[in-house]
Amino acid sequence: MSCQGQTMMQAPPARANPGLFKRNPPISGEAEAIVAAKRGDPEAFAKLYHLHKRRVYTLCLRMLGNVSAAEDMTQNAFLHLFRKIESFRGESAFSTWLHRLTVNLVLMQLRKKGLNLVSLEETISPADEDSPRRDFGSRDPVLTGSVDRVALERAVAALPPGYRMVFVLHDVEGYEHNEIATMLDCSIGNSKSQLHKARLRLRELLRNPSQSPQPSQSAESAQ
Amino acid sequence: MTLPGNIDFDNLKPEEFEHILPDLFATGDGKVSQDPRLKKFLAANPDCAALVSDLETIAETARSLLQPVAEPSDRVWQNIQAKLREDSALASIDDDYIDPGAPVD
Repeated sequence: MSCQGQTMMQAPPARANPGLFKRNPPISGEAEAIVAAKRGDPEAFAKLYHLHKRRVYTLCLRMLGNVSAAEDMTQNAFLHLFRKIESFRGESAFSTWLHRLTVNLVLMQLRKKGLNLVSLEETISPADEDSPRRDFGSRDPVLTGSVDRVALERAVAALPPGYRMVFVLHDVEGYEHNEIATMLDCSIGNSKSQLHKARLRLRELLRNPSQSPQPSQSAESAQ
Repeated sequence: MTLPGNIDFDNLKPEEFEHILPDLFATGDGKVSQDPRLKKFLAANPDCAALVSDLETIAETARSLLQPVAEPSDRVWQNIQAKLREDSALASIDDDYIDPGAPVD
């Protein structure tokens, strides 16, 4: 990492209460659809799918970084939802419940693919060559322009999977480090460290956009 | 990893700052640039101040990514419907199932 170089952009105004932005307010017609879905009403299933498909799919796409895998996981998440909807008690917002269910399914799949084979402390740490440079003594390239949402989206897609997972969960989805540590079965310190490395890597990617994947490879290409 | 309580913020070195930065971001509201303990250090180390500014901006901009940007293909809903129909058909078979060993009324 490096402190060297000019700032690349001005920070937007301070946000509202951190940690609460993921808790969404109820959506009109959602409560009725949930009740009907619990009775097995196919139209209610369709309504719930159309209300939440973009949020669920976008989350899957960011966490998995692959359109095909994200679609399969979206399908899996909604099937799980519809089969288990009786267990939704309304103690949290439906979208929060669905969101948590989706995150858990994604993490289960990643563990099945090998994340459980070695220590997670190592697993979510990318290889050394993927780590942000730690070159306090050298001067970074000077940034020009500002970073917009599309550029950040592209840079996030270029992050190593371990960095991307923690960054998406914390900075995009609003989970706290203790929640992430529980979900990923790692220490809180590890979650903080991974997040910091992810942000440093993003800074590099935003300073050097040529390192980011082309639009056809990144998440927004799925639109 | 937690922030040590014996940090001399008035005589902080960039290397020490680098070491504690993840915890500085994790404490409070994550606005390291507004931390009064770091005012003197950041003023004396503009490159570190630039780093803090950039990382804060990345974190702030990340919030805008919460808004969904992508939509799954129609294939996803078609597959879900097909699977739900299979579930329904199976449930129907279960409902209609008659135990051949059950006594006849």
